[in-house]
Amino acid sequence: MAWATYPTREEVDFVVIGSGSAGGIMAKELSSAGFSVVVLEQGPHLQPGDFKHDEWDYTQNEGLVWGSRKGHPQTFRRYEHEKAQIVDGAPLGYAHNVGGSSAHFSGNFWRLRPIDFMEASVLGPITGTNFVDWPISYEELEPYYTKVDWEIGLSGVEGPWDPPRSRGYPCPPIPVKSSGVLLERAAKKLGLTAYPEPHAILSQPHNGRPGCIHCGFCNGFGCEVGAKSSTAVTMIPLAQASGNCELRTGCTVSKISTDERGRASEVVYWDENGTEQAQRAKSVVLSANGAESARLLLLSESASHPDGLSNGSGMVGKNLMFNGSSRVAGLFAEPVNAFKSVATTRVIHDFYSIDPKHGFYGGGGIDERSLSRGLPMAAAMGSGLFSGKSWGKEYKDAIATEFSHACSFNGHTTSLPLSTNNVTLDPDVKDKWGRPALRTTFMNHKDDIATMKFFYDRSMELMEAAGAIQIEGRFSGEGQRGGVHLLGTCRMGNDPSTSVVDRFNRSHEVPNLYMVDGGSMVTSGRGQPTMTIMALAFRAADHIIQSARRGEL
Amino acid sequence: MSDTTLSRRAFLARTSIIALSVPMILSASTQARAAQAQRAEFTTLSAEEAAEFAAIAARIIPSDDTPGATEAGAVYFMDTVLSGSHKDYLPRMQEGLIGLQALAQSRYSSLTYHTLSTQQQDLLLAEIEDEEFFRSMRFMTIAGTFTLPEYGGNRNEIGWKLMGFEDRHMWMSPYGFYDADYAAKGE
Repeated sequence: MAWATYPTREEVDFVVIGSGSAGGIMAKELSSAGFSVVVLEQGPHLQPGDFKHDEWDYTQNEGLVWGSRKGHPQTFRRYEHEKAQIVDGAPLGYAHNVGGSSAHFSGNFWRLRPIDFMEASVLGPITGTNFVDWPISYEELEPYYTKVDWEIGLSGVEGPWDPPRSRGYPCPPIPVKSSGVLLERAAKKLGLTAYPEPHAILSQPHNGRPGCIHCGFCNGFGCEVGAKSSTAVTMIPLAQASGNCELRTGCTVSKISTDERGRASEVVYWDENGTEQAQRAKSVVLSANGAESARLLLLSESASHPDGLSNGSGMVGKNLMFNGSSRVAGLFAEPVNAFKSVATTRVIHDFYSIDPKHGFYGGGGIDERSLSRGLPMAAAMGSGLFSGKSWGKEYKDAIATEFSHACSFNGHTTSLPLSTNNVTLDPDVKDKWGRPALRTTFMNHKDDIATMKFFYDRSMELMEAAGAIQIEGRFSGEGQRGGVHLLGTCRMGNDPSTSVVDRFNRSHEVPNLYMVDGGSMVTSGRGQPTMTIMALAFRAADHIIQSARRGEL
Repeated sequence: MSDTTLSRRAFLARTSIIALSVPMILSASTQARAAQAQRAEFTTLSAEEAAEFAAIAARIIPSDDTPGATEAGAVYFMDTVLSGSHKDYLPRMQEGLIGLQALAQSRYSSLTYHTLSTQQQDLLLAEIEDEEFFRSMRFMTIAGTFTLPEYGGNRNEIGWKLMGFEDRHMWMSPYGFYDADYAAKGE
């Protein structure tokens, strides 16, 4: 079936803004249920054969993740009294293409656990933060996690710590790498448990797609055979096949307009030729990610919505969370060759919740990775890691062994939601369309940093137990300066005065507007949010379809 | 290259299910190889700038018993990207070079850097290693040595060989020593 086509002046049932982890699912679910859908995507529709092993383009020339070089500058500051400065690249990083960041992610798919949804009740409030329970439970989300497992396509095996699940994984785990063996053996020595990392990457054929061929250009790159379960290869083809979906690429949205009743009525955008267009719609689904969805709501201010659309609570853009990270690198006697295959193959979840007796809130997981994502140029840029030299003969000798003989143990950890960590519109800097640039204000809560330090210490112990010859480590003790997990900025809740969307991702303020992406996450989870973003999208779509069938569009 | 041929054959054998994607991938890699045709002329840099930048690159990743930035053609990569995606680097690198030449003049009464002895060259770079110009030169030298060869550097994959990296479409386990050992011991 070909893509549908709809005139802009005809009201379609849904406009979906963004085609990434959430938008791709919304497009497929709504169009397959028989509703007319127009998807607006900023980037191009890349096919598996378009993806290259081109480190220069993807990491230094903004091939997938746009920043200043592509006319999309972002600014950053620590605190609200400071003036934000333009930062090279993209401090809030996401891929601009059909599939969004699911095209270039490393596909580590951890479910949240029951505790994540009610942690504030269990532990009590944390002063100075917006740490609260979710309005939904794990049990409510579980069927949708299972839908992600099977419809998106996951590889894994049930581990000792997993929350209850209604069905197993469709594909077995990805084969262990040397780096994973080092982590698993070290864990055993310390009485911990490493088990196979669950991936949204196929280990064998599933749903008509092939298994991974372990090329190594995975994290930050697109899959050239379609084994990575991005929405571009899992959901978008089904949206197309429904006959009810039109995908418009190269389209940058400037505003969501509302009518006199306060309902979203049309979406204004520049098309691929730079011509302004406006698509009329009965309902609008905003899935532009945790940074851009908030920005677009703020850009959609009007006389009736002076602080931005759906921002009566003042919470749009606030509670930005990235997930903490720490890294300990080790040099080994024998070849590790961590540059091959997927990013990571073993994970430790013994420290999912740090005992409160340590005096701070936090938790997370530790997995093993290559240095610098297994990329030769990036490894050389940062290298001299163990020798300390950055140029000359000693440097050259060091990089000749470090790349093939090293790996790292990485912590992925909690972030607390704070009003002072947010995305806003920069008052001075504009993007290529003349829109105010995305401005990030961010400084971690002290417990985020204590948690990163805790995981850094555990990774040090593991690296020593693994028998590394030389060890070097780091974490953002001074606070993070950006991230790729963009969470919390349109948070979900029952109270319209403290949250932006309800328990089904519907705007509290605009009844035919839905925000469905990482922005709706109430807490950060333990470091791998995309599976939850996708499960929330399937759940929201299910609810919207039921409402729409009752005529409540 | 025999390794490439081998990996391509293995790749085809394993992935017949994805027949649609394979011609696209092969066509892309053939194009990349064609574009790797090695140039001798410079289109962006003057002859003097090219000689100076090449000499600096040769001290950052020197040639000894193995090839370095010179053999990788890092300066040809610079010539490509400094008139393309990274043309904003060119004026500041040209300005930085003038500064380095002034230093060569004051320390060794030489109008150029590349004519100094390698020992003198190293001493001058050590003096400027915290400066923006050196950071740009290091960035461009490393990028040019380890890049995908279609940008003009990493000739004959010299940089990748130096690191023990190989660009293949497909790998099969065991990937390294430890997973081979793990499989052998049946862990």
